[in-house]
Amino acid sequence: MPSYLSRPLTVLGLLFLSHACYSAYEHSTLLTTFPQSSTIASTSTSSPPTASLPLDISLETIISVVMICVGLVVGAEELKPITWRVWAGKVERESGGGGPFQGLEDRLGFVDIRVGIISSMEIGFGNGGLLV
Amino acid sequence: MPTERELAISPIVQESVQHNTRVISNIRSLTASLFGIASGILGLESYAGFAFYLLGTFFVSVLIWAFLAKGKQGEYFQGPLSELWAGDVLGGGMSFVLTWTLFYGLVRA
Repeated sequence: MPSYLSRPLTVLGLLFLSHACYSAYEHSTLLTTFPQSSTIASTSTSSPPTASLPLDISLETIISVVMICVGLVVGAEELKPITWRVWAGKVERESGGGGPFQGLEDRLGFVDIRVGIISSMEIGFGNGGLLV
Repeated sequence: MPTERELAISPIVQESVQHNTRVISNIRSLTASLFGIASGILGLESYAGFAFYLLGTFFVSVLIWAFLAKGKQGEYFQGPLSELWAGDVLGGGMSFVLTWTLFYGLVRA
């Protein structure tokens, strides 16, 4: 899942969640205002009115929570590999030849003299000069 | 835990370990409050609420495993069981209870 979907998904989920919250609040207010209403109250009058949250509000709550979770996880920062070789290889590939071992590879003992001579001759004499 | 010899052969980057732990703990604290809100709205009580929290935490762990670790949990965590699947569950439980009671009281006032 692409990460640009994370923000809209989270915002939409929060919208649904607040709507579900307000619906649940209104539902509880309705039950305390009209406790005798037969159309709203649950079949068993002995149970408290809080026990009967309508199915659509429950579903909306759960779906919005799932949406926000997915949005948060997808939008989170990338994890980094913990073993040194995997991490160093990734850094070197992404920076194009840099990496944590650059200081070691730049030492004088590691300089390839032949490559240096050939490139300086190409610069000095142009193509097709002294080089075969 | 890896032995000293294994650590000498393949060293660990501490910076990455800390970064991964921080990412997990961020997600955990945010989602814990979120589950508290949801269970408050749903009106869950006692064991049902805690079961909801554990279920949600497991769901988030699966999401992290799939989207962030891409199935290779050993590459990103030293101990995947304690850092990914059970990391920060108890710490998040506190903020879960906080928002749970708050929203339960708000909705069913």
